[in-house]
Formats: sequence, C-alpha cells, structure tokens
Amino acid sequence: MADDRSLGSSSVGRLVSAAGVYGIAALFLAVGALLQATGIIRGFLTIQNMLNIVDAAALVGIVAVGMAFVTYSGHFADMSVPTTMGFTGYVCIELLRYGFIPAVIVALAIGLLIGLMNGFVVGKLKANPIIWTLAVNYVTMGVIRLIWVNKQIYPDMRGSGQKAVELFDNIYRLRFFNLIGLPVVMLLVLVVAGQFVMTKTSFGVKLKLTGSSLRAAKFSGISVERVITTAFVLTALTATIAGLAVTSLSRVGAWYNGAGYDFKAVTAIVIGGMTLAGGRGSILGVLGGSLIIGLLNNVLTLLGVGTFSQDMIRGAIFIVVVGINAKSLRSLGRDDA
Amino acid sequence: MRKLGKNSLLAFGDKYRIYILFALVFAFMSLFAPRFFNVFNITSILKVISMNACVAIGFTVVMICGQLDLSIGTVITFAGVLALGLKPALGYAGSIAVAVVAGGLVGVLNGLLVAKAKINSFIVTLGTMTVLQGAIYQFSGGNSISVSTPDAFVISDFLGKSLLPLLTPRILISLVLVLAMEAYLRRTRSGRNFYLVGGNRNTAWLAGIPTDKYTVAAFVLSGVGAAIGGVLSVLESTAATLKLGENSLMYVISATIIGGTAMSGGKGGVLRSVVAIFTLEMLYTGVILFGLGNEVKIFIAGLILAYVVLYEAYATYKHENDLGRRPELMKELEARRMAKEKA
Repeated sequence: MADDRSLGSSSVGRLVSAAGVYGIAALFLAVGALLQATGIIRGFLTIQNMLNIVDAAALVGIVAVGMAFVTYSGHFADMSVPTTMGFTGYVCIELLRYGFIPAVIVALAIGLLIGLMNGFVVGKLKANPIIWTLAVNYVTMGVIRLIWVNKQIYPDMRGSGQKAVELFDNIYRLRFFNLIGLPVVMLLVLVVAGQFVMTKTSFGVKLKLTGSSLRAAKFSGISVERVITTAFVLTALTATIAGLAVTSLSRVGAWYNGAGYDFKAVTAIVIGGMTLAGGRGSILGVLGGSLIIGLLNNVLTLLGVGTFSQDMIRGAIFIVVVGINAKSLRSLGRDDA
Repeated sequence: MRKLGKNSLLAFGDKYRIYILFALVFAFMSLFAPRFFNVFNITSILKVISMNACVAIGFTVVMICGQLDLSIGTVITFAGVLALGLKPALGYAGSIAVAVVAGGLVGVLNGLLVAKAKINSFIVTLGTMTVLQGAIYQFSGGNSISVSTPDAFVISDFLGKSLLPLLTPRILISLVLVLAMEAYLRRTRSGRNFYLVGGNRNTAWLAGIPTDKYTVAAFVLSGVGAAIGGVLSVLESTAATLKLGENSLMYVISATIIGGTAMSGGKGGVLRSVVAIFTLEMLYTGVILFGLGNEVKIFIAGLILAYVVLYEAYATYKHENDLGRRPELMKELEARRMAKEKA
C-alpha cells in the first residue's frame, strides 16, 4: 500500500494510490454489468440507474469530503453529523417563511456553531473526539425533541412563500441538462476545493502535520487548536449542506433525516484510502470511496438484499478495511494506528 | 495517618465523590420531588437500573483497561431479541444460553480486533455496532418480538415479584453480579491486573501480565454483561423492542465517568459506576415526576454526558497545563513587576 507520508512521494505516486480506489469502483461496475449480462439482476446498466448511483453517492460524498478533514487531522470521525443534518434541515424548513436565502444562511450558521464548539472542545481541551461528538449528537437530538416534540414539519405548512418552497425543493431536484443533479455538482465543487485546500495551501500542510504527529506540529509552532477547529467546522458545514439536500429530497423535516450518514461517511473515507491514524490519504480517494458505497448499495439492492443486511455488509467491510490499513501501517513500522 | 487538613478533606471528597453525590441527589429528590420517596417508586427505579447495572459491570472493566465499547447498546437489544425470538425453537434454557454466548462472542471479536489487529477500540466497536444493528433488524424483521406462553408469564412474575421490600429477584441477581464483580476486581490478583493493564500497558506486559488476554477478557465481560442485562430485561417484560438498548450507551458512559472511572484507564470501580447509574436514574425520574416530559429527560441525559466529557477533558487540560509550573515563581515575578510599576 502506498504511503504518501514518506519523503519524496510524487504527485504521480499519490494519483496512483488514489486510482486504486477507482480500480475497485470499476470492478464493482464490471461485476454489476456481469450480473446483468447473466440475467441475475436487471436494470443496472441504464442511464437512470447510473444517475441514481451518482445521486446516492453525492449525499454520502458531501459529508465524507468534510469529515475527511477531521479524519486527516487524526481525530477519527465526527459522530454529531446525523443530528446536525436533521437539525439544520428542521431549522431551514421552519424559517422558509422568511425567505429561502435567510433560512439557508441561518442553517449554515448553526452548522458553523456546532463545528466551532466541537473544534474547541476536541482541539483545545483535547476531549476524546468520538465520545464528545457522540454526546453532542445526543444533545442536538434532545434540542430537536424539545423544540418540535417528535413532530415532523413540511416545507409548505408554516406559511412560507411559494417561491421559497420551490427553491427549497430544488436543492435536491435541480438538474443541469436534465442529467446532473445539484448535489453532484456540489460534491464535485467540494472535491476540487477540498483537494486544493489539502494539497496546495498552508492549511493543508499544517493539517497533514497535525494528523501525522500532533506533538511535532505543536512544537513546530503550528496552532494545532485552530487547525483542528477548522477541520471540525468544515465537517459541520458539509454536513449542513448534505442535511439540506436530504431534507429537500424527503420534503420533510425529521430527526432521522441524517441517520446513518456518520458511519457511511467514515466507511467511504477509509475505503478511499484515508487512514484513521491521520495524515494519510486524499480527497480524490474519498470521492472514490463514496462512489464505491453508492455502487455497493445499488448492486446489493438490485440483488434483492435488504437494507439491514446491507448495514451488516458495510460494517464488515469497514472493519476489514480498517484492519488491513492498521496491519500495513504496522508492517511499515509506523504503529500509530 | 496523614494529618488532617484542607487537602485531605478534598481528597476524601474526591475519593467518595459519587457516594456524596448520590446522597445529595437522594435527599433532594426525597424532599422536593412529588411521589418520590416511597417503596413503589424506588423499586421501579431499581428495576430500571438493573439492566444498565449489568451492562456497567463489563463496560467499566473495559474502561479500566483503557478501552471503550460502543457496541453495548446493540448487544443488549441483540441478546434480548435472540432470547425471545429463539424461545419457540429452543425453549428458554437454550435461547438464553444462545443469547449470552452471542454477547460473549461479540466481545471476543471486539477484543481480538483491538488486542491482535491493534485497531482503536471505539473504531472496532463502531463497526460491530453497525453489523449488529443490521443483524437485529434482519433477525426480527423490524418488529418487536413478544412471547405470550404461560411459562413466559410465570418467569416474568417470578422476576418482578418483591421478595423483600425493594428487592425483586431480577434486582437481586443484578446486585449479586455487581458485588461479585467488585470483589473480583478488588480482591483477586487477576482482577487487579485489569487496572495494571489499563494504567500502563507496557509496564504490565514487562511485569509478565498477558495484556492481550486481559483486553480480550474485558471485552468478553462487557459483551456477556450487556447480554445478561438485555436477557433479564426481556424476560421480565416478555417483549423485546428494538429500542431496548437505544439509550444505554449514553447512560452507561456518563455514569461510568461520573463514577470516577478514567477514560484513559487504570482507575475506577464497578460499584461506583452502578451507584452513578442509580444517581442519574433518580435525576431522570425526578425530571418526569416534576412534570417535565420525556423529551426534557433525553435532553438532560445528553447534556449530562456532554458536561461529564467536557469536565473530564478540562480537568486533564488544566492538569497538563499546570504541570511543571511553579506558581510561587510566577507570584514573585508578579510582585517584582508591581514594584517596578510603582517605582
């Protein structure tokens, strides 16, 4: 397995290691095609189905691209993503009556605040990231239940204007050339931006050092607190974007809107070659990981495997990939996983 | 004897923090919460906590070892669903055995992945949690499982009937398990080894303790404890809902930390965790008794967990910040600066 932390790794080498993920994705595509050719599944190689795969991958991918920054910084994952998605969706629908733009801005501001809080507590006070964000997840769930008391809300029931509702519906439904959905475009923009930030900016370099060795980063004068906080803020913001898209898709504000996205995103990240030890991997790989998650779901669904068995398969894949990663790092003599 | 003074009083307060907290909350609730201080209410609190008490037995050991087990909630539900779901085929003896063994196997898997594959424990258990979640829905088809045969009701009645005031057989079983585990951890050599493994893994290994074995054992205890908690709970209620273990993770983690078990390992105790669970449950019951809804209860439970994690992180942060600092030197410098400013 390529280790791009080693000195002198070229950008070509990095591309090759990221390309491995796309190889696996291509393999899945081939398996799907083969299954269709042998008549086991139907309707895999259609334009509509490919669009479905890409759309599903886009939602996971948007979360994963943001969360990848937390993983890259060596803080594993942000478990507060599901309720961040649910909560911001609720808020946006509730505020649609004041117009579409204000509603979205407030939703993003709330996401920003959650990210800042997570970043402060994990970065500055060094709380265990998983436990803290899990606690935040419960608290946000409590806030949702306190405010809306288990009620689901719909975009057009709070006296919000026709125009705002239409715009909100379009977050998920807008299609360019009748093909490419807005979430896909957002994902691509985020991937390009994320890859640029991670490899070409000073923040990216600081993040890499922070993820590789927090002490070394601290002693070389990097404000690790700020770097980590930025990573958590990016996660919360992308979670908010995905939350709005999911809420727009289901046209209902509900606490379960983001359920499962935390784990799907982490799985996409580790499949994409980013190690949970931090400091290794790339956003392009994460994009590949999200595509694989989308393809896997699609093929399994066409095969008639239920959602729950898919959870089991995804969990098993997650454990195996993390295990392989940890083992390969150890054989490289970098036993910090 | 150390001399008495402010510091030893503080140390006393720190050591018995959870018992003092327990007494305070109990006194407060008895005085102010309506319908709190009576046998019926306290029995029902004990019944509620007897599930999480069983869970805390193993979870605390895992945390003493310096690891975390996020899969306990799903193990509870999984064991509960198995115990009732397999009952028609295997009878109670068989289904209960399968449920408890399944909990143990989950523990073995977690432990091996942590100890041998050297993956972070919360990452491993996050994975097993997802797998189990799928398995639960797969097995139950997404519905609650209930049994309504006469023998099920006989067992349910037996477990729920008060033998002595406050003590039903189910509470008694949980209590015995908790006390046995506490005695094992405190009084036996192998029990104390868990603390050594959590306190400093390398030192423990150099001292000849098979650290990997102890890590696996801790996860097995956690799996078995969670399974027993789930099984006892469904045996009494004769129904296993898929939400059975939903909030246990949140309750048990906060209680274990409040009870004084350090997340870094090497410190803590089972009895303290259980007393903390009792304390928290009194608070939650109080919330309901004061007429606030279930939503408020969940919100407060989340806040308590967040506060506890924050407090623990802040204490560590402050400790590390103050480490190696000489306050008297700072005072002297400050005094000099003041003198300079005056002059």
